[in-house]
Amino acid sequence: MALVNEARIALNRIGVISGRQQLRSLATGKYLAQQVETVEIKEPQIKTFQIYRWNPDNAGEKPYMQTYEVNLRECGPMVLDALIKIKNEVDPTLTFRRSCREGICGSCAMNIGGTNTLACISKIDTNLSKPLKVYPLPHMYVVRDLVPDLNNFYEQYRSIQPWLQRKNEVAESKGKAQYLQSVEDRSKLDGLYECILCACCSTSCPSYWWNGDKYLGPAVLMQAYRWIIDSRDENTTERLSKLKDPFSVYRCHTIMNCTRTCPKNLNPGRAIAEIKKLLSGMASKPAPKLDTAALHK
Amino acid sequence: MALSVMLRNAGKLNVVGLGKTALSLPMKTLTTKSTLSAESLKTLTKLNNAQCLSRTFSLSSPKMSAAKGNHTPLWTAERLISLSLLGVVPAAFIYPSQTLDALLAVSVVLHSHWGVEAIITDYARPQVVGPLLPKVAHGALILLSIATLGGLFYIIQNDVGIANSIKQIWKIKAAGSGSAVEEASSK
Repeated sequence: MALVNEARIALNRIGVISGRQQLRSLATGKYLAQQVETVEIKEPQIKTFQIYRWNPDNAGEKPYMQTYEVNLRECGPMVLDALIKIKNEVDPTLTFRRSCREGICGSCAMNIGGTNTLACISKIDTNLSKPLKVYPLPHMYVVRDLVPDLNNFYEQYRSIQPWLQRKNEVAESKGKAQYLQSVEDRSKLDGLYECILCACCSTSCPSYWWNGDKYLGPAVLMQAYRWIIDSRDENTTERLSKLKDPFSVYRCHTIMNCTRTCPKNLNPGRAIAEIKKLLSGMASKPAPKLDTAALHK
Repeated sequence: MALSVMLRNAGKLNVVGLGKTALSLPMKTLTTKSTLSAESLKTLTKLNNAQCLSRTFSLSSPKMSAAKGNHTPLWTAERLISLSLLGVVPAAFIYPSQTLDALLAVSVVLHSHWGVEAIITDYARPQVVGPLLPKVAHGALILLSIATLGGLFYIIQNDVGIANSIKQIWKIKAAGSGSAVEEASSK
């Protein structure tokens, strides 16, 4: 196994295209001996990482930037690869959240090179002359190093009641039959349901920085809209009436940092605008195209 | 540190304590076979005894303030005023009259009042600057807007009007440049 790994590293050095062919023959194990001979040792590509450090255990210590050097030739292409490499090989005290390493869990959301994004899907800038700065999500309390405190964010998400709500729950016993939704109605949820709640957008929003206790923030508002516009959900009026105060929605000034930073390329700014249109009566939720509870009758 | 804890209104969580409850409860409820295995019991006691594993950390308690009132009519009015400005401003300059000047004065003052009000609400937060300053700022803004509106109406009533005043500003020529020089040289 160790041999195979070594060979993989060697392949990475040589290049992807030739590497693929060799990977095929890797299965047969024929080429290994020849391969090791042909490896040229290229000069290392040293990239400097400056990473925000703060440890609550060290009483009185202020946050500081710690510099790490990583040889990009021995490291994966993404920032998360570098962070894991640093944690494994240089400094095991470096603390950050990560899970899926493919941009679907939202755990590794952090501020990389001035932009909120997911470390696992943002490429390391290969310009070696500039250091890459990594901070936790801005304007959040820090638990440690790159780990932000998302308690308030989750509590706000809870407050919009992110689940399907029906008026007649007595007649429609749960699990008995599915609710119907036309293809067109379903397509309204596209661009909304993909949100992974990584909090990149909310923490990039100045309004959320200043009024995070009352303003819900783009991520939570987009999910609020996802349930408001769902043709199967019947609590639309109640959901909207909860948002009509001056703070929950109306602290959004269409700055659009949310849409700009979203690592999933979603558009929370548009969802908030749609909520404002629904609130003011400039738009209304259309009736479902199909009788939602037809199969329950 | 003490300050930060205080600021957060922090609920302290003890990881080991959390581990105890989190580990023991689900195990009792989830395991179909009656007892815990000897091994897992060992690890549990190890976990409890090991001091090095104990680490406390602070998490903020969620801070969610209730906001009352219905902001929707105000938001709608803001949009309508912004929209009407698109028509009122050019109209007031193309056909200068007291009526259009009055419309211009009211809509511009309302527009700027709501804009500055939003800025005060955003930046003068009771959480940061205390409960008094936001109220003072909002009061001062109302006075300022009333004074502005009064001043503009004074110009409309007793002077040439808003549109004509602004047109006069554009007619001012700097001494020693442009057509003023030409006029002077022709004399």
